[in-house]
Formats: sequence, C-alpha cells, structure tokens
Amino acid sequence: MAAHNDPLAHPEVRQGSVLRYIAGFVTSGAAMYFAYVQAMGHHPVVELLEILGGALLFSLITQAALFFGLDASRAQIWKSISLILTVPLFLVIIGITVWAFASLYGRTMPDPAIMNSMSM
Amino acid sequence: MASFPKAGADTVLWNAGADAHDNISARTYGFWLYLLSDALIIAAVFATYAVLNNPMNAAGGPLGSQFLSASKGMLQTFIVLGSVLCYSLATVALKRGSKLGVSLGMIGAILLAVVFLGIGLGDLTALSAAGDGFARSGYLSCFFTLIVTHALHMGFGILWMLVMLVQVGVFGFTENVVARLLNLRMFWQFQASVWVVVYIYVYLFGGAH
Repeated sequence: MAAHNDPLAHPEVRQGSVLRYIAGFVTSGAAMYFAYVQAMGHHPVVELLEILGGALLFSLITQAALFFGLDASRAQIWKSISLILTVPLFLVIIGITVWAFASLYGRTMPDPAIMNSMSM
Repeated sequence: MASFPKAGADTVLWNAGADAHDNISARTYGFWLYLLSDALIIAAVFATYAVLNNPMNAAGGPLGSQFLSASKGMLQTFIVLGSVLCYSLATVALKRGSKLGVSLGMIGAILLAVVFLGIGLGDLTALSAAGDGFARSGYLSCFFTLIVTHALHMGFGILWMLVMLVQVGVFGFTENVVARLLNLRMFWQFQASVWVVVYIYVYLFGGAH
C-alpha cells in the first residue's frame, strides 16, 4: 500500500461512513431486541439456544462488516483472514471445554440431593 | 563473469508506484492481532462461565436466572451500541479533519460509556451488599470476573479517549494521532461485540432457562 503524506488520506480513515455505522447500530440493535423478545417467550431450551445463537451470529457478522468494515479490499483483507483463522480457536476453547465438563460432571460429581440426605 | 546491460536513458532506478512501508496500516494490523488475542482470553472466561453455570457451583447462592434483568441488559446493550456509534461517527468527522467533530463524538461516547458502567457496577455493588459477592460461590466468582473484565476494558477505553481528546487538541491529526484514533475505533467497536455475547449468553440464555 502506498505511503501517504497526509494521514487523513489513509484508506482506513477514508472508509468511515455515516450510513454504514448507523446501519450497524440499527441491525445489531434489532438482532438483540429480537433475541430479547424471543427469550421472554416460552421456547424449549434447545430451540431457544438456536434462536439466540442465530441472532448473536447475525449481530456479530453485521458488526464485522458495518462497524469494523472487514471485507476483501486490499486495506482490510489480512484483518478479515486473521479473524477467519481465529474463529476455529473460539470454537475449540469454548466447545471442547463445555463438552468435556458436561461429560465429566455426569460421571464424577455426586448428586446434590444424595449429599443432602447423607448429611442429615 | 556475468554481464550487465549498461545504464542508459531508459534505465529505471526505482518504481515510483511501489509499495512503501505504511506505518498506519502496520500499527492497526498489529493492534487488530492484539484484539484477537484479547478475544481468546475472553473466550476462556466464557468457557469457564459455561462450566460453572449450574446449581452445584452456585453452592446455595443465586444463579444468574435469579438476579439478572434481561430488560436492564437490553438497555445496556443499546447504550454500548450508541457509544460505539458516537465514536465511529467521530472518525467520520476525522475524514474532514474536523477537530470539533472528533471531540464531540468522543465526548458522546464517553458519556454513554459512563452510564453503561454505572448501571453494571451498580448491579455488582448491590449483589455484593446482599452477601452474594465475588467469593460467595464459584459461579459468582466467574460472573464477577466476566462482567468486571468487560468493565475494565470499557474503563480503559474511556481513559484512552480522554487522552486522545488532549492529543487531538495539542498535536492535531498527525500520523501518530490518526493511527491511535483508528486503533481506538477498533478497540471500542470490539467492546460492543463482546457485550452482545455477554448479553445473549449470560442475560438471555442464562436468565431464561
């Protein structure tokens, strides 16, 4: 990328856009409000998890595109790639930890009801 | 011995259009990598929260479903998104080289962030006063860690904005100042991304089931 004598001419400065930022605020806020309304309703746990997960994913993608301005342009391509390469690490950290402990609790932890009855 | 053509009138000594080192891009990319590593730390706290979010780890104390307010969390969500919008609009004013626009955007972002922190820390103080503080249970230790980690980031962002208000006034839009303003924009937008995950997972999913 060519050097700029005027820092205000830098592509990352020029990418700022009123419309894009307002669109980011509205779409991300709407996704959160939708999730709030759904959580106040009566959904089975798995269904609620899917709805909330979908709203969260939508909100994060709109923030990446509209707030951070991530795209395949020359100015942003390496930020986009590094984010895509980091996403599996999030899934590994959270997913495997939760899976491991959910399995471990069932096999190793005493039932609180049994513990209470033993202490009487 | 290799032979080289002699220099003539058509010899190109340098390519005027070649890429030069771009200090601003190098700094924003470096800061972006820091943000990704910061996100991994926060992911580890989320993983811990997911593990400890059950009655056994509440040790007789409350779980989030008993004290969290989804509507208050919704209010905080719009406040933090509003603060991010204010700062982002400040960087639109940066395109025009408007010191006033940048300063007003940052002041709006700071004010909303202070309100956000006031609500969040007020809730934590009330919880502690009721005897359900950080040390009450494993669940509450992790809950406090998660909320305070985000609050510390917000607090640092406020401090950074105050510093930048001074630097914009004193130095103007130099290369260093512009790079810092762009990094701060990413840092502040990142806070909204972390908060929506907190809101969905802790306030809505944790509070609803």
